[in-house]
Amino acid sequence: MSTDLHTLSGAYVLHALSDEERAMFGQHLEECQACRDEVRELAETVSRMGAAEATPPPAALRARVLAAADRQPQLPPLVTPLERARTRRRLTRLAFAAAAVVVVAGSVFGITRLQGHNEPPVASPSVSQVFHAPDAKTLTVPTANGGRLRVALSPKSGRMAVATSALHPLARQKVYQLWTLHNGLATSVGLVHDLRGGKVMPIPASGTKVAITVEPAGGSAQPTTRPIVEVDPAKV
Amino acid sequence: MSEPGLRLVPAQGPSDVDALLGRVALGDSGAFEALYDELSSAVFGLARRVVRDPARAEDVTQEVFLEVWRQAARFDRGLGKAKTWVMTIAHRRAVDAVRRSESARRQETRVVHQEVTAEEPVEGLIQAEEHGAVRECMETLTELQLESVRLAYFNGYTYNEVATLLEKPLPTIKTRMRDGLIRLRDCLGGK
Repeated sequence: MSTDLHTLSGAYVLHALSDEERAMFGQHLEECQACRDEVRELAETVSRMGAAEATPPPAALRARVLAAADRQPQLPPLVTPLERARTRRRLTRLAFAAAAVVVVAGSVFGITRLQGHNEPPVASPSVSQVFHAPDAKTLTVPTANGGRLRVALSPKSGRMAVATSALHPLARQKVYQLWTLHNGLATSVGLVHDLRGGKVMPIPASGTKVAITVEPAGGSAQPTTRPIVEVDPAKV
Repeated sequence: MSEPGLRLVPAQGPSDVDALLGRVALGDSGAFEALYDELSSAVFGLARRVVRDPARAEDVTQEVFLEVWRQAARFDRGLGKAKTWVMTIAHRRAVDAVRRSESARRQETRVVHQEVTAEEPVEGLIQAEEHGAVRECMETLTELQLESVRLAYFNGYTYNEVATLLEKPLPTIKTRMRDGLIRLRDCLGGK
């Protein structure tokens, strides 16, 4: 049976399966690393076939697309605060299984998600999963206010995690806020409400640092204080 | 000025697109512009090939880039190249567009079949760097592999429909799609 299913990989990357078969094959992918590898490679193959058809679009389209993007909000990165994993420890396994399905669907690049459905709540690996990944590289960095930040990178999963349990506790009306810094542009990754937790995020592009500042409770749109710590993922 | 005899290699490559997408994920609209410049020909060309109508291909292209903008922060580098991700979105959107509104086309299946099996002159095609290699490699496929792959990829047929069109059993088509793509992958791997 699985041999039979396995042969659907070609039709799958060609988007030539019915929705039902697609879902079935998606489930199969979850259990089959070899199939996931094959699907990734064949998706790249068909993408090259598509790219060989390259034709420049009319010049006017560029301005239209850029203007439209300007009006569109971006979806936030997938960040899982560890406190959620802690309080719902029992659900974690289940949620992770669900995440695996989404990730697998994503292995052919989120096709089901891209059809204009609402965004499903997507879980991502927990902080400890990144720290314990077989390929994890970790680093502990002292912070300017006497704490320590632990960072882990798992290039294979494309994830970076920060563990905040060794950060210095803050007064009630203050909160730690996590940022990515690129070319002087700070983008909030999120607030750290529970120091026992941490954050997981996609590994930022090269040249992008991750920083933490102390902000008024509720967080800030842009950093209002100097970072207590900055980490360059490339140096982990 | 380049030195004589020195071949200029375009500083383009998957890794650059990956880096651009990483910046797009951070809300960098300059990077988004650069990403558009890098990939819009590939996206538009594929969309036009699939939906055929240039105006609709523009709409598809716009949808694709908006999706990329919205989803950039959720792109998982662990799962493949950024360019492949964008092209996968492009293909899916183009195929959806065809399936939504071109059911009439399906009634003339034989006509489409002939049109596809004939060697298609591809007008207005820029000489994409890849083009030569892809075409060369596609020529290594058997006729049935090639037709199965092309009918699905460029015409948006499901493999069920392809089987009907080519009058072959389903498992045969399923298998030809897969081994055709595997052959293509292996051939392109060296180029």
